[in-house]
Amino acid sequence: MKTNYPLPLYAIVNLTDKTWEPYPIPKDFFKKFVGGKSLGSRLLFEFMPSHTDVFDPASVVVVNTGPLTGSGAPSTSRFNLCAKNVLTGGIATSNCGGTFGMMLRRAGFDGVIIMGASDAPCYLEILDGEIAFRDAAELWGKDTEAAQEHLPKPYGKLMIGPAGENKVSYAGLASGERMAGRCGIGAIFGSKKLKGLVAYGTKEIPVAQPERFYAYNKKWIRFLQNHSMTGDALPRYGSAGLVNKANSMNALPTKNFESGHYDAADKVSGETLAETRLTRNGSCVSCPIRCERRVRLENKEVKGPEYETLGLFGPNMGLHDIDLVIRLNYVCDILGIDTISCASTIAFAMELYEKGLADFGVRFGKADNLEEVIYKIANAEGIYAELGKGSKWLSRKYGGEDFAIHAKGMELAAYEPRRSVGMGLGYATSNRGGCHLNGGYGALVESIGVLSIRPTKRWAKPDWVVFLQNALDAISLVGCCLFSGQTFIPNILFKLGPNHIITRSIGFIASFTGPVIRLLLKFPLVLQFNTFFLMPHAESFHRCTGMHMTTGDFIRTGERCYNVERLFNVREGLTGKQDALPKRLTKDFQKYGGHDTTVPIDKMLPIYYRARGWDKNGCPTRRTLKKLGMSDLLYVLDEQEEVA
Amino acid sequence: MAYSISETCSGCTACARLCPVMAISGERGRVHTINPKRCVECGVCARGCPKSAIRDARGAIPPRIPRKEWPKPAIRTEDCSACRMCVDICPFDALALTLPQFKGDIRVHAALSNPAKCVGCAQCMKICPLRLIEMQSPALPPEAKATAEAAK
Repeated sequence: MKTNYPLPLYAIVNLTDKTWEPYPIPKDFFKKFVGGKSLGSRLLFEFMPSHTDVFDPASVVVVNTGPLTGSGAPSTSRFNLCAKNVLTGGIATSNCGGTFGMMLRRAGFDGVIIMGASDAPCYLEILDGEIAFRDAAELWGKDTEAAQEHLPKPYGKLMIGPAGENKVSYAGLASGERMAGRCGIGAIFGSKKLKGLVAYGTKEIPVAQPERFYAYNKKWIRFLQNHSMTGDALPRYGSAGLVNKANSMNALPTKNFESGHYDAADKVSGETLAETRLTRNGSCVSCPIRCERRVRLENKEVKGPEYETLGLFGPNMGLHDIDLVIRLNYVCDILGIDTISCASTIAFAMELYEKGLADFGVRFGKADNLEEVIYKIANAEGIYAELGKGSKWLSRKYGGEDFAIHAKGMELAAYEPRRSVGMGLGYATSNRGGCHLNGGYGALVESIGVLSIRPTKRWAKPDWVVFLQNALDAISLVGCCLFSGQTFIPNILFKLGPNHIITRSIGFIASFTGPVIRLLLKFPLVLQFNTFFLMPHAESFHRCTGMHMTTGDFIRTGERCYNVERLFNVREGLTGKQDALPKRLTKDFQKYGGHDTTVPIDKMLPIYYRARGWDKNGCPTRRTLKKLGMSDLLYVLDEQEEVA
Repeated sequence: MAYSISETCSGCTACARLCPVMAISGERGRVHTINPKRCVECGVCARGCPKSAIRDARGAIPPRIPRKEWPKPAIRTEDCSACRMCVDICPFDALALTLPQFKGDIRVHAALSNPAKCVGCAQCMKICPLRLIEMQSPALPPEAKATAEAAK
């Protein structure tokens, strides 16, 4: 690097003996892994011994940001948490859009590496380049909202709720009203007796070429505002607007993923939400897309539900009460619970009762006791502590593994994989478990978006999934929100509509583009240019840090991120066997669906592994690692061979 | 380099209440101190100090200015993307996003909703990613303008 852009400064915090020291990131790490989930996963190799129990004091959590976080580029409030996954035992990366990321960087740190465990409840106060350990006796036991109100208002905060304190396997963290929900990192905080982190400072966030950077952001924001998806559909209906679309494509999970269509889905749709409940739309800090829903709940304006929450607390439980979903969304947020895993586990418990395997007092179509159940899960009361361990654990104890909807142990989001098989492959291969975002969000180009690449056909899907996974990881690791990447679908298709002959033919042709995408993946450096229409993030990153970055390099960075995450899974003992979906999705046809509605995962996986350069066990080969410049991690493969 | 407080401080806490970044600490009746790491050199404390006890980065004592003449942010609202950065950085809640004009209105913008609370620290101007905020001194009343011109 020829520029004067400073290398990221992290801090290593030891909770056991209450000490901290600065840790400048080596130049090599920054160049290859940049920041966010990628650098966080790489640092776990350095600081966390293999096969550490997640709740062991030696377990490490990395809270970090990307180079664009808080810099002023659009949708860059995101910060990231990396740890070992409570649900799967593999990698955990959880992304959140509160003010904490920006304030952490303004306080002088780009990340914090937390290790050890405290005896008494404490929280970290990061002010102006200094870290102090504060007693959290007053905060312990409080919900995320009350705990944050207890601290000075301008501080950026990151807090767990009662669920995290009670080590619920899918406990999350809240920053403001935003949640870093998935993967159960809140439970690791709880096991370390760490209530949370607060950060405040006034250090300016470094930008290598300020004038060019701000000029580009201006154009980028205008571009986002003029695009139909990020400038109209998302601000108007939020992600909740996907409910009706998914329902019409049979891709809305209903009754624990039994079928993909719910007759009364319109009652919990984004359109209904916008017409009857919405007071206004809101946003994370620095985001011009503004997809947040603001709704009224008992004289208070709270954050409204997302698509996943609406789908899983609605049709997936046989319910269609939008006020209930708003209420449960709020309850989950203040308790610090991930809505996706929580709702999916309860739906699984409902089916366990129907099949006569276990009774937790929850029934399909019964809404009145759900709030109480969620409170009991968060407080780990009686048998409800078992619900707090996730559907994989429940299915091991009570049976019903065929319809426990999880991948690697983490519950799937509300996209029915049998109507978007690429999404199914994404769920199965996602490093952090059944996650739609780490899994490539294939549903967006298959069933729920304007473009529809033949939802039930497997052609070209493995290559598209690899490409999308790399791209999403790259966007995420520089500190941008994934929604800012939705502009890669041309605006003209939105203008024409999903049923226009041109849109349909593009979807049809795209189902034969597998080899083209594969070539692009093999030689991403072909993309030696930057354009708004593919990856505005690359150019913005280049102007922010002064590092050379083209679209091709950017996707390669995402690929490196995906491989380092996978390598962490390999180190922790996960193999290709875990790249699987429950039998309900791979063998059973969708109810009322048709004879072609299964996910042909066995046929797609080998092609996917080949496209990624992995062996038959889903492990990166030596050649792939060398190609990506990760020769220093080859020792992980040596260790695996010794074990074998 | 940062602002500092001299011994003439009477400990009236005016500066601590005005400081937009909570950099000033001290007990009532004692000499206050400014955290040099935190100070953003906005000068708000100095123009509000009744004892003229605050020195700027060069050691000079800035003049005291009555509060109604403090600068206020002027936002070019037509280009505002409502990204909320200025709203979140303002410690006094002087800025807020406007409410939708009609049901389903998605084009809102930031506005100075509570001018009485604004201290003119220019934090919002510095953070605006689109550089749409300018600090403007409030328009002087006509008589004052006339006297100023007459003085010229």
